[in-house]
Formats: sequence, C-alpha cells, structure tokens
Amino acid sequence: MTRVKQLKRPLQLTNDGQLRHFLTIDGLSKTLLNNILNTAESFIIVGSKAVKNVPLLRGKTVVNLFFENSTRTRSTFELAAKRLSADVLNIDILTSSASKGESLLDTLRNLRAMQSDMFVIRHADSGAAHFIAAEVTPDVAIINAGDGHHSHPTQAMLDMLTIRRHKSNFDQLSVAIVGDIRHSRVARSQVQALKTLGCSDVRLIAPDTLMPPHASTLGVTTYRDLDQGLEGVDVVMVLRLQTERMTSAFLPSANEYYNFYGLTRKRLQRAKADVIIMHPGPINRGVEIESEVADGKHSMILNQVGYGIAIRMAVMSMVITGQACQSRETNYGCVD
Amino acid sequence: MDVLIKKARVIDPTQHLDSQLDLYINSGILVAMASNLEVDHVRQVDGSGCIICPGLVDLSCNLREPGYSQKGTIDSETAAAAQSGYTHICASPSTSPCTDTPAIVQLILDRAHQARHCRVYPVGALTRNLEGQQLSNMAALRDAGCIAVSNGSGDCDENMTLLRCYEYAASQGLPVFIQAQDKHLGKGCIHEGAIATRMGLDGIPIIAETLSISRHLQLLHHVGLRGHFNQVSSGSGVELIRQAKRAGQDITADASIAHLSFNETWVRGYDSQYHLHPPLRSEDDQQALLVGLADGTLDGICSAHQPHEEAAKKAPFSSTEPGMASYDMLIPLALQLIRNQTIDWVTLVDRLSIAPARIAGINRSGLQVGVKADLCLIDPNYRWTLDASTAVSTGTNQPLWEQHLQGRSLLSICP
Repeated sequence: MTRVKQLKRPLQLTNDGQLRHFLTIDGLSKTLLNNILNTAESFIIVGSKAVKNVPLLRGKTVVNLFFENSTRTRSTFELAAKRLSADVLNIDILTSSASKGESLLDTLRNLRAMQSDMFVIRHADSGAAHFIAAEVTPDVAIINAGDGHHSHPTQAMLDMLTIRRHKSNFDQLSVAIVGDIRHSRVARSQVQALKTLGCSDVRLIAPDTLMPPHASTLGVTTYRDLDQGLEGVDVVMVLRLQTERMTSAFLPSANEYYNFYGLTRKRLQRAKADVIIMHPGPINRGVEIESEVADGKHSMILNQVGYGIAIRMAVMSMVITGQACQSRETNYGCVD
Repeated sequence: MDVLIKKARVIDPTQHLDSQLDLYINSGILVAMASNLEVDHVRQVDGSGCIICPGLVDLSCNLREPGYSQKGTIDSETAAAAQSGYTHICASPSTSPCTDTPAIVQLILDRAHQARHCRVYPVGALTRNLEGQQLSNMAALRDAGCIAVSNGSGDCDENMTLLRCYEYAASQGLPVFIQAQDKHLGKGCIHEGAIATRMGLDGIPIIAETLSISRHLQLLHHVGLRGHFNQVSSGSGVELIRQAKRAGQDITADASIAHLSFNETWVRGYDSQYHLHPPLRSEDDQQALLVGLADGTLDGICSAHQPHEEAAKKAPFSSTEPGMASYDMLIPLALQLIRNQTIDWVTLVDRLSIAPARIAGINRSGLQVGVKADLCLIDPNYRWTLDASTAVSTGTNQPLWEQHLQGRSLLSICP
C-alpha cells in the first residue's frame, strides 16, 4: 500500500465538470472560475435595477446553517438567495439542537428530511462541508461559507471579482496577502484562486507564528518583513487578526503587531501608486490596518461587500443547475 | 484440536527452521513434525503453499473493555486477533476505568479466559488514571498479571514525575511501553506537512515525536530501565532509536501495520478512516520505517488495533476519533511487505511473532514437538473480500472495507 491514493471524480463536480457543490477552490479549472466571475458580473446588473429579483431559485429552499457567528457572510448569502427568489431558512445553530448534544450528522439528516435543496454551511472544523457533501446529504447542494482554516471559496471569488473589475490580467499582477495566514481559510482560498487564474507573484507576509508550516508548497513567496513584501505590489489583501492570537503565544501584543505588520499609509508607499487594498472584514482599525488606509482612495473594502452578493448568486444558481443534472445520472463514489 | 496439516512451509526463526513439513496436533499438543506424516482418522488440512509459524504476538492493541463496549469487547476483539493468527496480545491500559488497579487486570484476564480466543497480557497504567501525576500501584499490577506499564497515548508533563515512575517501575522489574508524543506539540490531527497546510488542518510536527523519544531515552538511560517504543511514526524517530541501540541502550521499538502500509496522502479527501494518532506521516517517513523494519531497528510490527463504532468516524475530520481496526486487515497488509520486497518471510515471522514475544517477556517453546501447540497457518494466496460476512472485529473503522484482499490466516492454535 505504498502507492499514492487514487482519487476519483472530485466531490464538488458533476460527471461533465459542472459545479454541484461549492466546497473549495482547490481542483477547479481556470475556465470554471472565469464562468463564476462572468455569471457574477451579470448579477451585478440585477443588483442595480429597481426590482432586484430573478426567478432562478423559485420554489427552492436554501438553509443557512452557521455553526460559527457571522454577520456579513450570512446576510449576503441570505440576500443572494432572496434575489434568486428562493425560500430561505436561517438556522441559529448556536441555540439549537447542536447545543443539546445532537451530532452534526443528525442535525443535517433532519434538515434534509425537510426537503431542503441547498445548505450554506459555516463550521469551525476544516473539512466540515466536505463531510456533509460526502456523507450526509449528497443530493443537497452544499455551499461552503467557511470551514475551519481550510476554505472560504465564495470570499476568495468575490475578491477575484474585485481584482478583475479594478485591475488588468491576473498574470500581470503582484498580490500580497498580509496577516494571520496560518489560521485563515480566506488566505488559502485566495492563493488557490489567484494561482488558478494565472497570477504568478503571490506573496504571503507574516511572522513565522502566523505563517502555515510548509507555506511555500502553496506556490507562493513568503516574507517575514512587511516592507519587503509590499515592494511594487498591485494588490494588498489584509487579513483580520483575532485578538485571541495575543493570548495563545502567537504574538506578543496588538501594538507590536501594528508596528511591524499593520498596513499604514507610510508602508503603502512601497506598493504601486494605483494599488488596491482589500479586507474580508470585519476590520480591526489600528491593529492590522490604519483607519486612513481602510477608508482611503485605494480601499475596495465596501465594494467587496456588494460583489459578495453577486458571487453568491452566481454560485447558488450554478450548483442548483449542476445538482439537478447530477441527480439524473448515476451517483458513484467520489473523493477530494 | 485434532488435526494433521500436510506440506506446509514451517518457519521458526528461533530454531533456524524453514522447511516443508507435516504437523500433527492432538488435543492441543504438537505431537509430531516431520515429512510425510500419516495419521489415520484425523482431519487433514492441505498446507501446500501455506506458512506455519509460531502464533503471532501483538505489542499494542485496544480491546475496549471495560468502558467502551460500543466499540468492541474482549470477546469480539480477541476473536478478531485469533482470526488473524495472534495467539498472544498485549492490551493497552487505555480502558475506562483504565488498567490501574488489580481488579481491572483481573477483569480483563477473566473475560479473556472465558472468551478462549487468545492469551491476553494486560499492560498496566504507569500513573493513576493515566493522568501523569501519581504513580500507579505497579507492584500490585505486576502481581495481578501486568507484563509492563505504560501511560498509553498520554504523556507525563513533569520530568520529575516521569523519573520517579521509571525508578519505581525499575525497582518492580517492570519494563515500560512508550507511545512517544509530546502532549502539547501533538495536539493536531494530521502530519504537519504540505497536505495539512492545504487542507487547513492542525498538523503534528515530527518534533512532537522526536522530542519525546529523546526525553524518554535519556530518562530510561538515567534510570537503567528497559523501554519499548510503540508505534514509531517518523524517519527521524527511527534514527533516534537506531543511534540509541548502537550506543548499547536496552530498548526496543515497533511500528504499527498502518504506519508501514499507508502515509499522509491517504488522508486526502478528509478520509477519517486514516485519522490516526500518531498521524500517518510522509512517504519518506513511511520508507524510513520500512528500512528500519528491515534492518532490525524496529524490532516488531504491532497492530495498534483500535476498533470504533460507526459514529466515531462520522464527523468532520478533526472531530473524529483517531485509530484503525486493523486486525482483520493485518495479514493482507503484512504480506504486502513481502510482495514489495521490504522483508522476507523469515523476517516477517520474526517481526510479528518472535521479537514481540521476547519484548513482552512471554516464555514459549516455539514449534517444539511434545509441548502445547502455539502456531498459526497463513495462506498467502487466499483471496477474500473484507465485508460484514468476513470481518470479525466489531470495529467499523476498516479502511479496506469491501476491497478484495489477498492472504489470510486459516487457523491459529493458542496454548
């Protein structure tokens, strides 16, 4: 058994390569990512009309299952589903049966019995969305709204949409990701999306304590020094720093972090003059980013929120179509 | 048991024996072993193409009883062990309550005796409740039947406590079994490497093992205690054992059949069946384990059998329980080591039977005429499918489930 495990068809794709779940960017083709971006572009137009709804998910039930707190991701998913005319059920899992000892497996099976068509899931465990798609509800479309430190694919795609709308080709760009990369599902998905779309200069900037071990295997260049890493970049993506990192021996203090890794106007001078600044939110002003930078002319932080609705509409409409196609075909075992 | 086994290849490294012979066993006694034996009115088994060797000896397994009977029982798991050719197995102290009192030792021995599948040798807890703080009643545990003491998969935080434990174990003549992993560095659920980074899972660095092995080696050396390292998982760990042996330290080590057969790539797709503790490491580490097994740095192969109920593995990866129910898969996986030319048959018999018996201090006579038979008969060409009709262990965590396998133990005779 020394051979490498053979993988079958990726779990999130149909036999003919369409999305049926959206679990991770890993393994998706450039064409598919561009399809998502193009579809999202068409939904941006919907958002600007007086009547914002389209009937693509009419009669479908979307369940938002957030096992972790979230305001903006959850509300943009809800809005996206409603604009697609779906019925939306929000389950507040923190006060539901999960806290009574019911397993994730049983919670999901119960919701499936309610004839749900799509689960949007955020969970603290890496691989939770994979587990649900593979083991619990293979016939319900699963959208990963963030699992542990693994993946947050809709966030990465809205970031790609932001870059595409404000910059030229991905293969011409230098992109820096700054902050707590070790614990960031956003950073992992961003790196995979950038690499797939052709970006050859992806830089990760963090002290070693916040850098994933073996980060260079992701196909990126790593920097310990922020100033060096920012030199000549077109895009800076800043990650949120959670305060618990200061109490668990990852960092000495918020102040020291700001002084050496906080994005300030002065530091930003090293980047290109037309650099854009992004952040998945919510931001900690004065910890990872200076207020003037967050609110300044380079900032795309509020644009990102609007694009988030369009990306989520795109992904939801694509997986519903893929799921319908796949359920007509033979379902055989698949892994990824 | 009254049986005549014809034309089997009989391997017993303790006697430098490797020949085609017939064996006649009557009432559990090995009555005769020679070429062309003829006995009337007795069940004959054609042993052509099969191997007969001394019964296998397991240095690490979890029988789950008392406390975790939803995962397995002494009856069910010793039956699985016997089906795989084991006649003697050392049971981990990680039960509930753990094996830290003579009463629990007696319970395990009684249940094993009632089950009559194979002999069970309890490994006692090194510390009370395996908490790593207070010495267990080691002398009483020894008198009740424990052959060694161990802190299971847990570790002692305090060097002073561990030193005292080892001093006391030495004075009671008990060797110590060690599963070396630093408690704090070992908190992840997968080998720390590129795959862990990609999957966003907390990795366990190799230093979690090597730091712990070094610490235990120094304490054992200081005390002059014999130690056995269970389930070494990394190439660097093997190297530390190799150096210590070269320096003359009285230690032994094993690797689990899972760590010899699989590596971290099998975890891809969040396959919880490959969630082990210590974790499956890189392909290079797996190769280093195979080299260590061949050159004798690793004295034995253990099953590290850990049966689970289905629910224990049905959750997101990091929330699943680690471990593999390996008894039913053991022979096909072990034969793979011969097929890929890691070791030959004589070495495999040594690593699965002879060396583990020596390490556990089990006195037995091998394949000697006139004494109670203690052997197993393995058909390396037997083709079968692991499924509900063939599995003996109640553990559902068998990653080769519904796969076609080659090789099986046809018979084991326990003294």
